Amino acid sequence: MERTGAEILLNTLSEEGVSEIFGYPGASTLAIHDCINETGIKHLLVRHEQAAAHAADGYARATGKVGVCIATSGPGATNLVTGIATAYMDSTPMIALTGQVTTGLLGSDAFQETDIIGITMPITKHSFLVQDVRDMASTVREAINIATSGRPGPVVIDLPRDVLAARCNDDEEGGGGFLEQQEIHFGEEELRRLKQIARLLNESERPVLLVGGGVKLSQAFTELADVIQKGNIPFVTTMMGIGSVYTPNGFNLGLIGTHGTDLANRIVHQSDFILAVGARFSDRTTSVIEEFAPLATIAQIDVDPTSIGKNIKTDISVVSDIRVALQELLGLVTEKKREDWIARIDRERERIAKEGSDDGCGPAGECIRMVQECMPEKTIAVTDVGLNQIWAIRSWKVKIPRGLITPGGLGTMGFSVPASMGARIGAIDHEVVVFTGDGGFFMNIQELATIGFYNIPVKIVVFNNGNLGMIRQIQHHFYNSRYRDSRLSDLVDITEIAKGFGIPSEKVAAEDPRKGIEKLCGSEGPFLLEVVVDENNYVYPIIPPGKSNVEMIYGRSE
Amino acid sequence: MKNEVKEHVISMLVNNRPGVLARVAGVFGRLGYNIESLCVAETISPKVSRITSVSKADPAFTEKVKKQLNRLVDVISVAELEDDTSAKREMMLIGITIDEKNRPELSRAITMFGCTVISMKDSYCILQVVGNRGDVETVLNFLTPLGVKDIARTGAVALESGA
Ligand SMILES: Cc1ncc(C[n+]2csc(CCOP(=O)(O)OP(=O)(O)O)c2C)c(N)n1
Ligand SMILES: [Mg+2]
Repeated sequence: MERTGAEILLNTLSEEGVSEIFGYPGASTLAIHDCINETGIKHLLVRHEQAAAHAADGYARATGKVGVCIATSGPGATNLVTGIATAYMDSTPMIALTGQVTTGLLGSDAFQETDIIGITMPITKHSFLVQDVRDMASTVREAINIATSGRPGPVVIDLPRDVLAARCNDDEEGGGGFLEQQEIHFGEEELRRLKQIARLLNESERPVLLVGGGVKLSQAFTELADVIQKGNIPFVTTMMGIGSVYTPNGFNLGLIGTHGTDLANRIVHQSDFILAVGARFSDRTTSVIEEFAPLATIAQIDVDPTSIGKNIKTDISVVSDIRVALQELLGLVTEKKREDWIARIDRERERIAKEGSDDGCGPAGECIRMVQECMPEKTIAVTDVGLNQIWAIRSWKVKIPRGLITPGGLGTMGFSVPASMGARIGAIDHEVVVFTGDGGFFMNIQELATIGFYNIPVKIVVFNNGNLGMIRQIQHHFYNSRYRDSRLSDLVDITEIAKGFGIPSEKVAAEDPRKGIEKLCGSEGPFLLEVVVDENNYVYPIIPPGKSNVEMIYGRSE
Repeated sequence: MKNEVKEHVISMLVNNRPGVLARVAGVFGRLGYNIESLCVAETISPKVSRITSVSKADPAFTEKVKKQLNRLVDVISVAELEDDTSAKREMMLIGITIDEKNRPELSRAITMFGCTVISMKDSYCILQVVGNRGDVETVLNFLTPLGVKDIARTGAVALESGA
């Protein structure tokens, strides 16, 4: 059978299980758009390529499958860059297809030629330029394999226009032939090390599990829960680790680090053993690294050798798929009550509850709790960046795997709305709620058109504080309340904008949001709720720059 | 970080395909790891190339660079070669014009250091020197006063000794 490069590309994607692509066309990718419907893949036309990348990212985070986006050469491709970088930082399996000028014109500064492979080299796991149609199928397969295996990440496939148009018979296709991605092998050495970790864990008196984003990526949800239950081990999560495990019995001490809870940070500080699973000890997690968990022996399990000992010196580590390692670990962990440790944590928890030091999200946080109560359990929360993000991750109690999506690594404002589209399209039997600030909302506001056009039933909550709130809070504490360039305005009528895009909308005050929340949760299709928040509704506690995780500033949000 | 700068030889096996060197160089460049020499060529498998780099750096820094190199999809293996467990050689080509004045010293040097004359055009000759870095530099130091016009060095290639 003879097919064009574009057909081979799409057929191969489809064989690999891809059913949706988010994108935006241009002359150099038209060969793909021309036959996309015939291949059974659905293309969703966004309104800006950045949104295509975030949507593919959200799709992948919500489903665990690879997300795919497409853009044309030149400006289309460069518009993807922020989305690719976001996916890279959070290890999302993603394929970014980019159009490219014909091979003969490469390097001639042709119209809409950019070296997208060069531009994205530091923010992709890998990239390919397909120079021969006979390599198309094998390249696509290899790209998906790379994007999804080991520590996942985005892969760019750059597609010259002539290669997409070229025809090729099945029997002419090359078989690829470069090394398969190495399977991460769990062998004797790994087992030996894991046994050592288990022994340290079993002997420890005040252990804490540190759960990172790697648990989600290796789908180790039940394995992790089993280990926690069997060993009675309290756990904390990094921002990316939120939504990896739900234990109703209070083992979850919450988020640690810069925006973490008082409880999580204090308990980690007191612990004598920390086992990190799929966490890289980023600066957001540890704050001042020298003062992080000073009493603890630190063990680490990660699939990515680069992440081991990268930021913190670990005492023992295993390179392994997390799921495999946790399955093994379960057999090695002894059942233990740890009554003293649990009692000590409970006392700390009571003290904190009495002082109210972990309730620092103010009315905005209360609002998020009310939204969650109103929504079915199978709801995914997608956050933007800023105060809204911290309110959401602190207030939304994640009860399902992949129940919270947040751009933790890059902190990309404008992520939430487009990512929610991808999440909702991918996780068809889930509801999706967005929490965003006004600043971030404006950054990809055009996607309301996409949401309206496809009638994607996402529920959007815009916390309108008229400010770049998180920046304002930093200025308040560390720049003597000089609020320079952080004031947006309250001149924009967000609900009218939503209505202009064909999306029903309401406006409420954070102190009295019930009516609006009921409408939001009750709506069949998309809905936008604008929640007016006081500009001094900050988030507490926070860790000042250059301070350790237990030197937090407390405060009260009015 | 303790600052005990020493010479590090990193030997990598990589897929032999376009763009791989750029990725490897990208890691060096992004981390600010300065390369003294770099050598790239095919191995016995045409699908695989060996890249040998030499740098002066802190061991901890080198460790970090090695980890990031390992992370590249096209990098098959990364090893650091130590002096006592590896063999290391480099080659230098030296261009020099022969005249009546330097002729006796030059021929003495050629026999003494075992250089090979690989090209002679009019009175311009190119000498080849192979050895470890010290050997090569000794020859260069000796010849420089005689009027060396140009040199090209490969930088080190190295293999682990005892397979
Ligand atoms: C694209 C981008 N630009 C700038 C920043 C820096 N930044 C972090 S939080 C923030 C303020 C966000 O304001 P808003 O979206 O209104 O959220 P709020 O903090 O008010 O909830 C800014 C500007 C960023 N994270 N991303
Ligand atoms: Mg705001």
